[in-house]
Amino acid sequence: MSAILLIAVPLLAAFISILFKKYAHYILVFVSFASVFALEYMDLGTITVGGFNAPFGIVLILDDYSLIALYIVNTLFFLVAILNCNEFKKVGSIMLVALAGLNGLLLTGDLFNLFVFLEVAGIAAYLITTTNKKPLATFNYLIQGTVGSSLYLLGLILLYAMFGTLNMADMASSIASSGYGAGVTAFPFLLMFIGFGVEAKLLPFNSWTKGILANSNRLTGPMIASVYAAAIGFVFGRLLTNVFVIEDTFLIIVTIILIFSVVAGEAMAYASTKVREILLYSSVAQAALVVVVFMSGFTGWAVYLIIGNAAAKLVLFLITNTATKQLGNDDVETFKGLFVNNKIIGLSFTAVTLSVIGLPMFLGFVTKMNILENMFVSGDYIWPAIILITSVVEGIYFIRLLLNLWYKENDLPEVKFEFVLKYVVVIIALLIMVFGVYTEPVQESADDLVAYSYIEGGNL
Amino acid sequence: MLQYAAIAMLMLGLYGLLTQRNIIKIIVSINILEIGLNLFIVSVGYVEGGIAPILTSDFNNNGLVFVDPLPSALVLTAIVIGVGTTALGLALAKNIYQKYGTFEIDEMGEE
Repeated sequence: MSAILLIAVPLLAAFISILFKKYAHYILVFVSFASVFALEYMDLGTITVGGFNAPFGIVLILDDYSLIALYIVNTLFFLVAILNCNEFKKVGSIMLVALAGLNGLLLTGDLFNLFVFLEVAGIAAYLITTTNKKPLATFNYLIQGTVGSSLYLLGLILLYAMFGTLNMADMASSIASSGYGAGVTAFPFLLMFIGFGVEAKLLPFNSWTKGILANSNRLTGPMIASVYAAAIGFVFGRLLTNVFVIEDTFLIIVTIILIFSVVAGEAMAYASTKVREILLYSSVAQAALVVVVFMSGFTGWAVYLIIGNAAAKLVLFLITNTATKQLGNDDVETFKGLFVNNKIIGLSFTAVTLSVIGLPMFLGFVTKMNILENMFVSGDYIWPAIILITSVVEGIYFIRLLLNLWYKENDLPEVKFEFVLKYVVVIIALLIMVFGVYTEPVQESADDLVAYSYIEGGNL
Repeated sequence: MLQYAAIAMLMLGLYGLLTQRNIIKIIVSINILEIGLNLFIVSVGYVEGGIAPILTSDFNNNGLVFVDPLPSALVLTAIVIGVGTTALGLALAKNIYQKYGTFEIDEMGEE
């Protein structure tokens, strides 16, 4: 089966669902399930679109890396879709466009095509966030997203003017063979980095995040913080490892941006008194951490960091937003004692949170441990120090949150969680625990991905 | 020369985005930014004295100087995307007006 169907079928279904508006949410659930299922039958390789060969036409690349990315993003998307399909019937068609855009982002091997899919996924995201009923926040997101992708396009065009190609692999080899120093390509790469930084929630460019995620509902919270964050993380990883040349001044600028993101993200999470704000600032710090790990070259572990984080944020935002809807607001005070009557939900929430902090027995520990180990081996001492310090801060605010949610004597908040949500949350928490203890498959596959220099894309 | 004009326009759009506090003016600014960017992309493909890259009975050999057609194709896509974002922005502006009764961000009483 050709991987192009992963883009074409959701798009077609989106058009069909406009004709049958009443059934849009059924079509959504069916198509998103089918795309997870269809991944099993995809052949690895390069797909040439329109019959033009690699450097001239658009190529879609399905290798191990994008296959993992597709599995994660499509599975999370399916979970979000099935949990919300009844509550948000109106956005069925838009969700299908979002699915097409995200799959396109992960598959494409062409820089301009990447911009197009970034905009498709972006416009779908703006429309999905309108369900927050905060039009000003969505408007903010729209403006920042558009400026970000315009900057990406500007950087891309500068690169095109310099090297005359848009294909990622061809671009990388042209840059390598041109003999230009890193200073020449630093400016276009910086523009592209900023453009992606807006979507990936890196700190100076992410003021939209608070408006969107602090007012999120059960659809937008998991969608933006988990599905979109995972997809953008994977695409960013592909660019960082395959296309960008990060040296000299560019390296310094990027490092400062990332240190600022990690430290300030954790600090703001520490200072927040609302549950959703704690979660959103923690995901800002995590997003920056993912970029750091990709930059350091530990692709496999960066992938596991994305997976662990996306799964965790899905669980955390689902639980928080379900409770917020029933309690009226998301102050930690209001949430006090939430888990006393909801032990199963509470245990899953705790397991996932501990995994994000990076305590032993959970997936997060395996990932963080290996990242630190690899960084120490490669002689880097600054990043491990920052990661360790911020982990302590993270531990403090998350455990403080957990204590608040578990202990209260009387006057407990009444929240009902439906059966499907419990099921999903428990399974994700169990998976995080299982792979935290039984680490061999994680270890092996991550090491494989490190050794595997993935695309000679387009020229396969 | 066209490139400098395009960059100036891009910067003008960026300046507008940073200084304006009116929803409609922000949308206009982002359009100016996009037009500047599109002009820049077209200018990248321009070749001094080049002709349109279309094979006709008058121009049918490879010895002629053609302009690069790819940036024009890219601009076409970028324009369509820009129109989509503008439409969405205006729809949101309508929602904002219905909710707050104003287009001025400062008068809305939210952060």
